[in-house]
Amino acid sequence: MPSRLSAQAIRELERRLGKEQVLHETEDLHTYGYDATPELKSLPDVVLFPRTAEEVAYVVEFANQNGLPLSPRGSGTGLSGGSIPAEGGVVAVMTRMNRILEIDEENLTATVEPGVITLDLASAVAARGLFYPPDPGSQKVSTIAGNVAENAGGLRGLKYGVTRDYVMALEAVLMDGSHLMTGGKAVKDVAGYSFRDLLVGSEGTLGIVTKVTVSLIPPPKAKKTMVAYFKDVATAGQAVSEIVAAKIIPATLEILDNTTINAIEDYVDIGLPREMQGLLLVEVDGHPAEVEEEAAEIHEVLQRVGADTIRIAQTDEEAEDLTAARRTALSALARVSPTTILEDSTVPRSELASTFNEIARLTKKYQLTVGTFGHAGDGNLHPTALTDERNTEEITRVHAFFSELYDHVLAVGGTVSGEHGIGMAKVGYLERQIGSGGVKVMRRIKNAFDPDGRLNPGKMFIPEDPGNGRA
Amino acid sequence: MRSEPRYTKRDAEQAIHKPGERLGNFLPEDAPSYEDILQCMRCGFCLPHCPTFAITNRERSSPRGRAQLAKAVAQGELELSEAVCYEGFFCLDCRACTTVCPAGVKVGPIMEHVRAQSRNEVHPLPPGWRQFREFLLEYMLPNHDRLEDSMLAARLYQRLGVQWMVRNSHLLELAPGTLGETAEKMDGMLPKLEPPLRNRVPELVKARGEKRGTVAYFIGCIMNLMYPEVSRATINTLAHQGFDVVIPKSAKCCGAPHLTEGDRETARQLGEHNVETFLRWDLDAIVTDCAGCGAALKEYEELLEGRMDERYLHEFRSRIRDVSEFLVGAGMRTEDLKPVDMTITYHDPCHLAHAQGIAKEPRQLIEAIPGLKLVEMFESNWCCGSGANWGLLHPEESEQVLDRKMANVVKTEADAVVTLNPGCHMQLAWGVRRSGLDQKAYHLMELVGRSLPEESVPPAS
Repeated sequence: MPSRLSAQAIRELERRLGKEQVLHETEDLHTYGYDATPELKSLPDVVLFPRTAEEVAYVVEFANQNGLPLSPRGSGTGLSGGSIPAEGGVVAVMTRMNRILEIDEENLTATVEPGVITLDLASAVAARGLFYPPDPGSQKVSTIAGNVAENAGGLRGLKYGVTRDYVMALEAVLMDGSHLMTGGKAVKDVAGYSFRDLLVGSEGTLGIVTKVTVSLIPPPKAKKTMVAYFKDVATAGQAVSEIVAAKIIPATLEILDNTTINAIEDYVDIGLPREMQGLLLVEVDGHPAEVEEEAAEIHEVLQRVGADTIRIAQTDEEAEDLTAARRTALSALARVSPTTILEDSTVPRSELASTFNEIARLTKKYQLTVGTFGHAGDGNLHPTALTDERNTEEITRVHAFFSELYDHVLAVGGTVSGEHGIGMAKVGYLERQIGSGGVKVMRRIKNAFDPDGRLNPGKMFIPEDPGNGRA
Repeated sequence: MRSEPRYTKRDAEQAIHKPGERLGNFLPEDAPSYEDILQCMRCGFCLPHCPTFAITNRERSSPRGRAQLAKAVAQGELELSEAVCYEGFFCLDCRACTTVCPAGVKVGPIMEHVRAQSRNEVHPLPPGWRQFREFLLEYMLPNHDRLEDSMLAARLYQRLGVQWMVRNSHLLELAPGTLGETAEKMDGMLPKLEPPLRNRVPELVKARGEKRGTVAYFIGCIMNLMYPEVSRATINTLAHQGFDVVIPKSAKCCGAPHLTEGDRETARQLGEHNVETFLRWDLDAIVTDCAGCGAALKEYEELLEGRMDERYLHEFRSRIRDVSEFLVGAGMRTEDLKPVDMTITYHDPCHLAHAQGIAKEPRQLIEAIPGLKLVEMFESNWCCGSGANWGLLHPEESEQVLDRKMANVVKTEADAVVTLNPGCHMQLAWGVRRSGLDQKAYHLMELVGRSLPEESVPPAS
């Protein structure tokens, strides 16, 4: 389907933004109609690359004048369809605004343009001896504003928090063309509503972020890595709860189930025990003395709850070896079948064991292959259905599986999305979690920012909400 | 213009493709594999590793974009259009994406199939390119003798000093358009030419010292014509290491240039010929010092599936070794090697590091040579911008990719940049010359050859 914009409109865009910043060929529209979410695709009419906040304001003006929906996009690595142009229109790709503007060592902040790649920011501050902790799985690819829009998490969430915890100030262009500045470098700020916190996790539905200031911390001086294997996954879940109950907050506390362990062995053959039902990867970091002490305590806890085998890395190389399984988990699962549906159901930590049991029960009930890994310390699991999008009957079962799993997740006080967002993929689930009253309030907030419903429509909630998730 | 909701979930029923059936808008012959296309989960992990995406920041020129274009064609949503074919040819086929892909998607081979699908009506090649291509692919490359004769003129041209005159009079710059640029670049890239090696070596070079086995040396077209001295060093090294070296006279081009250009049929004919030729010998290994040949030979199983008995194909495949892979695997005899005092940096050829997954062995081989000191460059496995014919079809972009590489080479302050593939070798030599650097470019085997105490095959007089 070619662009529905007139040749005259395209020429005007090219005149204002430069030819290189305007894409409208069919093939380009096809490649900006998806992100990393399986099954979803919807083509835009034009793709624009603004390079300044003023150009962003112009893009907003253009969308308004032409009555077009407008969806901001970073690198398109999202897992809920947040950047897909659900109703066509304009995709504003922010990746050409990618300068690191300032690293302020006195205030421990970094100020960057929205399209800076997460890892580039982390590396740049690391070169100055500082630390930006949020590390979503796609950090080599994802943009900082994409992380802000989705409030991205990562492996270090338990101890260091998620993107929200590091956003100090934001600048954004709103749909009325105004430039909003919210927050600042001051550590404390209680002046009025916190728009900053509203924009974080707003999935590009309230404004287009044009500048981000994040806070930085000094990096930990030492780290210790260990791995424990369990004969049943519920015991692994219990170990997680008990480590935290022992008043230790590890930097990393990751879990892999038996399906994942076997997928990794099939793929790379690194000598994992195939019969084990659970693998826990634990890393503690901080002051060297404290790290040694905590590692010893965790070792004790792991023994007490009945871990089958415990391995503690003595060198950096051994630590690398121990983390190999976790690093390979997604790759290994992704190779098993053509379609990989990765969810992010999240429960209070104490409910990990019950959730693993429920996943096992439902996997059997719906006759699926599901590998589960995730950030156990955060109660954030990634049950991953290994399927084939061509098999519609199986795909229906996959959706039924997740729908029933979310009944359990919500019943135990969890959330339908720990870190991927609602986007298009989970519009139906949101109401199940926060109720129709909650959705109504969110709609009113959305209306206050975007009365025409032009900014990233079809996300989070849609006017004619079908009410049952993806299908 | 308020648009209709365009969000429609694909009806997956439509997407079911039965083997042998026409795949969407692809032509029936040599369509890419639908399984391979569907394996892409669009995570985008490939994006920071793609040289063409780095240049353009345009999704369709990225591995994910290319896989999704192929998917749209396979699902009938998109025609096999000029832009799709263009992206097929604009892909460097460097395979860096495959190395980092969590799902193991091979976008390079998918794009090779798109090239095979490309027709002049849809995607016209530059003027004269198609004729040049047919001449080269179908007439010249399948025949070593023709190739060698044709190079005679080039050698004469160098010997007579015309090269110097042409260079200094900027005669080539006067030729119009891309062809002139291409010709000038080709002139700048040509090494000092020696007579081809193939007819200078016996079909069997005997092992020195205690014999450890028998190997065949697969003499690549470019190695034979452009770098015969490197090939000679490889044969000498294999003999010195205790292997009888067979150099079958009737071996032909590996077919890589044909796959690159989308001529899969000629590639298959060459492949069949080579499998038959080499399996006549009782060999421990078939060794090549050309990463491009090695990658193509290792993919014969896929290329010739259904055309030859799979046992032969498997036997052939199990013997193919890159020279570094073979030497390190066998264990280098280093007792009598002479020191080669030089600080070098190593450029990983894409078709070695990414297509064959060989990155450790070349470094171990460097370590085994006394005197050689390795300084790693940043992004050593980032493409140099040669990409077989890519550099000629996309001269401007090729320079951009090369600039990035040369900047990393310069930073190492090494005496030389070393690689294991003739295409990279030429490109790096050109990069060094173009930037007026003091550094030299070598094929690693040339330096290994210098460390040998004696030579089995003498140099050309």
